[in-house]
Amino acid sequence: MISREEVDTLAELARLKLTDEEASGLQKDISNILDYVGQVSMQSGQGSTLTQDSPRSNLRNVMRADLPRADGDPLAGKREALLAALPKREGDYAVVRKIIQKDE
Amino acid sequence: MGISELSITEASKKLQAGEITAVDLARACLEEIKKKNKSLNAYLEVFNDVLEQARVADERRAKGESHPLLGIPLAIKDNILIEGRHASAASKILEGYVASYDATVIKKLKEAGAVFMGRTNMDEFAMGGSNENSAFGPVKNPHDESRVPGGSSGGSAAAVASHMALGALGTETGGSVREPASFCGLVGVKPTYGGISRSGIMAMAASLNQCGVFGKTVEDAELIYETIRGKDPLDSQSIDPGFYPEPQVKKKIGVPRALIAQGVDAGVLERFEQALSTLRGSGYEVVDVELPSAPLTLPIYYVIVPAEVSTDLARFDGVRYGLSHKGASQWEDYAISRAEGFGPEVRRRIMLGTYVLSSGYYDAYYGKAIAARELLTREVSKVLETVDAIATPTAPSPAPKLGEKSDPLSVYLLDIFTATANLTLHPAISVPMGTVEREGKHLPVGIQFTAAHGDEEALFNIGKQIGGNMH
Repeated sequence: MISREEVDTLAELARLKLTDEEASGLQKDISNILDYVGQVSMQSGQGSTLTQDSPRSNLRNVMRADLPRADGDPLAGKREALLAALPKREGDYAVVRKIIQKDE
Repeated sequence: MGISELSITEASKKLQAGEITAVDLARACLEEIKKKNKSLNAYLEVFNDVLEQARVADERRAKGESHPLLGIPLAIKDNILIEGRHASAASKILEGYVASYDATVIKKLKEAGAVFMGRTNMDEFAMGGSNENSAFGPVKNPHDESRVPGGSSGGSAAAVASHMALGALGTETGGSVREPASFCGLVGVKPTYGGISRSGIMAMAASLNQCGVFGKTVEDAELIYETIRGKDPLDSQSIDPGFYPEPQVKKKIGVPRALIAQGVDAGVLERFEQALSTLRGSGYEVVDVELPSAPLTLPIYYVIVPAEVSTDLARFDGVRYGLSHKGASQWEDYAISRAEGFGPEVRRRIMLGTYVLSSGYYDAYYGKAIAARELLTREVSKVLETVDAIATPTAPSPAPKLGEKSDPLSVYLLDIFTATANLTLHPAISVPMGTVEREGKHLPVGIQFTAAHGDEEALFNIGKQIGGNMH
C-alpha cells in the first residue's frame, strides 16, 4: 500500500487538487493497480536477455525542419484560430499569472 | 428495410446509379437519430448542417465525382478535430473548445465527400473500455440497452449499429475500436502503427494511439481505411503503404490456445470454434501457436499507458484552451482547473503515471515495461512469420451490463486480447462471429485477427471469409 503522503506528493506533481476522500480512494486504487502491474518487474527479467537498454529494432528518430508553415500547409494561417481558443486573452497575448513575485 | 440500414458499398452503388441521393441517406440517418439518440446517447452533437453537406455531395456527384464515400453519412469520435466545430474528447476540461484545423483523416474524408453526421460520445480522452467514463453520461448498447456498447469509441460503434450513420471513425490505444465493434456486432480495424495519420487527433498515449474505423462489413471498413491511410508530413510516425516488406501468404491461422484456455465465456468460445471451422472450410490451416509473454500484456499496458497519459495530458492546464479556474496560487490555477475538468479515471491514470515515472520507481515499472514490450513484440512478430494471422476472441465476454464493472481493474481486463496489438504495433481487426444469448437477448461477439506489420490485406481477406453483415 502506498502511503497517504505519497499520494499527496503525486497530486502535487500531477497538478491535481484532490479532495480528502478522493486521495484516500486513490491510495487504495493505485496500490491495487500497482500490485497487478508489478508482474512486469517480477517476470520480464527472467529468461530474457532484454533490458530497457536493448534497442527497439523498428524505432528511429524522425526530425522535421524548424520552419514557418508555408502557404498551402494545412496548419498555415491558423494564428487567429489558436489565439481564439485561449481562455484569457488580451490582444495577441495569452493572459497568465505573474510568475515572479515577492514571497508572501 | 430503410436505406440507413444499407452497407456503405450498397449505398454507394445506389447513389451512383441515381436510385437514391445523399440527401435521402442523410435524412434517413437523421430520422434514426431522432428516434434513438436520446436513449442511446451515442452522439454528443448532431451537426446542424448535415443536409447541407449532403446537398453539396449530390452536387459534386452531378458534376462527375464518384468516390465511393461521396455522400456517405459517417460518425466521428469526439477526439478528432473538424475545423470550426466543437471537440471535447467527452471531457469537461475542453468545454467550449472549437477545433482550429482539420485532422488529416477529416481532410481526406472531406476530399472524398463524406457527410459528417456529428461527434460521438466516448470514454473521456479515450480512457476506458465501457464508455462509462464520459463526462456526458454513458452510451447504451443498441442490442440491449441495459448493456454497455464497449469503449472507448462506444458512441461511434452504437451510432453505426443503430443506423444513425453508415460507418464511423474511432481511435485505439488498447482495443477502443475492436472491443466496441465486438460488443455492437460491427467490423472494427486498428491499422499498423503509423498506418493512418494522427494529426488533429487528441493524443492519450502516443506510442500506442491509432485512428481506427468501424463498418457494418469488412468491405466498408476496408474502404474507409483505404481512403484515410498513408504517410502525412504532419504525423512523423505515419508510414506509407509498402513501408514493411510484403509477407507471403501461408493460408495458416495461429491460435494461442494457452492464452484463451481460461477466463473466456463458454458461448464466446463456441462461436470462436465455429469461426475457425469456417476458415478451415475456406482452405486455411488452423495451428496452435505460443505467446508465452502474452499474459504480461495488461501489466505492461497499464504501466506504459498511464505514464504517457500523465505527459500527453500535461497540456491541459487551463491556460491554452478550455476550462480555466483561478485559485490562490499558480499551482492552484492549474490544479483546480485539472481536478474539475478531468473525470475520475483520467485523474487516476495521471496519478498512476506520475508514480511509475517518478524517481526511484522508473526502473522498476517503466523501464521493465519497455523491455517486456519489446520482448512481446518480437514474440508476436516471430509467430507471424509462420502464420498469416493470430486469432483470438476479441473480448472474453459479450457486452457487460452498465455498472457491472465498477472496479477499475475489472474494466481493464476486457482489453486482455486487444491491447497486445497496440503494444506490438501490429494491425488487427474484429469481425462479428455470431451472438451469444443473455436473458433472451442476442448479444454480438467478435473474432480478432492480428497480422504482420503492414499486412492489413491479410486481415481483410480473412475477415471476408467470416464476416456476415449482422445489420
